[in-house]
Amino acid sequence: MATTTLAPEAPAYQRSWVIEWLTTVDHKKIGILYILNSFVFFFGAGILALLVRSELAVPGLQILDESTFNQAFTMHGTLMVFLFIVPMMSGFGNYIVPLQLGAPDMAFPRINALSFWMLPLGGLLLISGYLFGGAAAGGWTGYNPLTQERFSPGVGMDLWIMGLTVVGTASILGSVNFITTIFKMRAPGMSLFRMPIFTWTILVTQTLILLATPVLAAGLIALFIDRNYGGSFFDPSVGGDPILWQHVFWFFGHPEVYIVILPALGVVSEILPVFSRKPLFGYHAFVYATVAIGLLSFSVWAHHMFTTGVVFLPFFTFMTALIAVPTGVKMFNWMATLWRGSLVFATPMLFALGLISMFLIGGISGVMMASAPIDFHLQDTYFAVAHLHYVFFGGAAFGVFAATYYWFPKMTGRRLNEFVGKIHFGLIFLGFNLAFFPMHELGIQGMPRRIADYSPDAGWTVMNMLSTGGAFLIALSMIPFVVNVVATLINGERVGDDPWEGNTLEWATSSPPPAYNFDRLPPIRSERPMFDLRHKHDPAVHHELATAEAES
Amino acid sequence: MTAGTMPAVMRRPAALLAVLVVGLLGGCALIPPTPGTTQADSVYALYIVIFTLGAIVFFVVEGFIIYAVIRYRRRDDRLPTQHHGNNRVEIIWTVIPTVIVMILFIGSLVTLASIEQEGADPVNIEVEGFQWQWAFHYLDEGVTVDGGSVENPPVMVVPVNRPIHLILHSDDVIHSFFVPNFLTKRDVVPFAEGTNPNELEFTVNRLGTFRGQCAEFCGRGHAEMTFVVISMDPADYADWVVEQRAAASVEPTPTIPAGLQIVRISADQLEFDTNLLEVPAGEDFVIEFTNNEVDIPHNVAIYDGEATLFQGEWLTGPGTIQYLVPALDAGEYTFQCDVHPSMFGTVTAR
Repeated sequence: MATTTLAPEAPAYQRSWVIEWLTTVDHKKIGILYILNSFVFFFGAGILALLVRSELAVPGLQILDESTFNQAFTMHGTLMVFLFIVPMMSGFGNYIVPLQLGAPDMAFPRINALSFWMLPLGGLLLISGYLFGGAAAGGWTGYNPLTQERFSPGVGMDLWIMGLTVVGTASILGSVNFITTIFKMRAPGMSLFRMPIFTWTILVTQTLILLATPVLAAGLIALFIDRNYGGSFFDPSVGGDPILWQHVFWFFGHPEVYIVILPALGVVSEILPVFSRKPLFGYHAFVYATVAIGLLSFSVWAHHMFTTGVVFLPFFTFMTALIAVPTGVKMFNWMATLWRGSLVFATPMLFALGLISMFLIGGISGVMMASAPIDFHLQDTYFAVAHLHYVFFGGAAFGVFAATYYWFPKMTGRRLNEFVGKIHFGLIFLGFNLAFFPMHELGIQGMPRRIADYSPDAGWTVMNMLSTGGAFLIALSMIPFVVNVVATLINGERVGDDPWEGNTLEWATSSPPPAYNFDRLPPIRSERPMFDLRHKHDPAVHHELATAEAES
Repeated sequence: MTAGTMPAVMRRPAALLAVLVVGLLGGCALIPPTPGTTQADSVYALYIVIFTLGAIVFFVVEGFIIYAVIRYRRRDDRLPTQHHGNNRVEIIWTVIPTVIVMILFIGSLVTLASIEQEGADPVNIEVEGFQWQWAFHYLDEGVTVDGGSVENPPVMVVPVNRPIHLILHSDDVIHSFFVPNFLTKRDVVPFAEGTNPNELEFTVNRLGTFRGQCAEFCGRGHAEMTFVVISMDPADYADWVVEQRAAASVEPTPTIPAGLQIVRISADQLEFDTNLLEVPAGEDFVIEFTNNEVDIPHNVAIYDGEATLFQGEWLTGPGTIQYLVPALDAGEYTFQCDVHPSMFGTVTAR
């Protein structure tokens, strides 16, 4: 009797792993590519930071001259912001968001690959100035008219503009992809208010990218025209307005801060409930606060420009300080989530708690600088440098490490070594505070940012030495981290599909997930479907589920 | 908490690190430098209020985190009560930061109004910032202070207890006039023609010497744009003005005698056209210096190690000037542009 069987395991189209990774349109592989690429730029930009800090450790010019110093801090800032922290969060978003939605992939897989591959291209363009007579040296903010051709003649500045435009285009493409995926590809039962908080923060972030990045791109193109085709947008000697650049840059640049920090806050809001075994307190309030921050972020840009003498101070002081309200709501909700929880201190939790305590300092110093009269003193000093690092490093970068430790088992099936992870956390926490806390004091005492040298009589030497020591401690902490990642990949502990007892759908599939993500999905009746599944026989949880069932 | 649990607590890395943070915070003063102007007094008071509020928030939140880390660590496998939220507390903790924000906002408005008030009979000084130094033009006294270097920064002399009104002018890039003790700064913006320059007014209320420097990144020599403000009693200030005027009028422009050897050098793009000047030894000679760079000042000065042998007057390009240089002994010296010390070379006298 003839039997028909499905073709037995038709051999998959064989290709080498190199070709596979170069041509992949799988959101998980692209996510990992994003993350790897971002770490490469993180280490590069970190080395530039060490050069800057080494130069500033003591008065006098020792290892860099003024030109190379200016290039170093310009490229440090540009790379950290545009090629580490933003794409890193897009990388985690790429990997995690479709999984958290119960979707098989992103909405536009090929655009996804395109928006990734534009990043290394843009990044290489940015730094290629070093090969052609010097990289850009106008600061990551590229203020005019300093970045005009007559003050920054080299081709490095043009390469910086082109590289940033490419990177910006990549994020615009990516944002369209994310927004479509989140609105169109949620699993049945996953209403907007059952979406995991991390996915919510990615939705708000990507909307900000879609609205803000084109403004930067327009500004960059205008600057390129000024420099190369006789334009007069920003050059006052031909009737342009240098302050216009600052408006354009910060109209992008302040939402950018929230683009950077919101996903990190989302990561914390995933980790705290899992490691406290409680739901996120005030989930709805948390979503509203995230949206409120996103909206407010477009009305505060000119607080970067208080000392230019051309902005209406009371409005921007008020709006800037107002952002403290939704941010405060988040902080209180986290505190309430910890309250009467059952806390374990695995490495992801340590980084999440570290983030909360450090971001708090960045928030407080931010509110201080929202006050225009105080900002007159602190603007453009090391206080601002301290503030932005408490937000970008103590906030966003700690979020990156929390996410790395938390989702590493998802991506590989192996857990990073906890002991080494805690050493990493201890070193980086100590190094971070040693590097950046003294900068508050330096700024208050009047040390301006972006100076290559300072007088030995200024009284800034001790704080600068401490800060440099801290920077090297941060660098040292990268050794256990890298060793941990490599050793775990080779021979790490296999921990099954769900080592942390996660709440959200990414833990409903195998670790690592198959190319198509899910065989089946649990019922989605709250923002914690996996928790509900695990505890469905617990009477309290059962009651909640029944209520949700009745409502839906 | 019982004494018995303390050591276990102290072994927890998170708690230990938190203690370190608090220690670090306590170790720094975080208080602004002593104010030197009446406006700075107002800002200082506002700073103390806002800093105190910030410190309270800091200690309450960090204190809670440390408490929660210790108190609620997992002791058994029981599932804690599942609190999903509470609208009443959400409202309470929306109101708390709103109140803090309103205090900050009102305090800022009051302070802003007081520091932006303009006084009567000010000393009007046009501050000119350029890559990479300052010039101070006393508009009513007809005195100009310029020149100087990092080691010898230009000095703005002001009388105490009289408003000082600065008009901030730049022709190249954006600079920022910043004196830490005055707790303020204002950008020196090269606005396009037709836009009024920025202004800044303050009243120095104590005698002293105050260090200042450019706070807006302005290119290679940004760190070298230092200056000093010295406050004096009105009588001493009047004497200073008289002295400056006298010095300006007696300083003769040396006439160049005919027949001296002329050495030519020019500057463009922040470079001299040569790094070697050959001059006659033992006799006066003339340096004809051409500055081809629009709006940028340069000069030529000759040094023997630390000792200044000749310092040419600054010339803002484009233009040409002749310097009469006194005789040099045979030997090798260095020359440089004092505005841009990275422009230098060797003088050989033979």
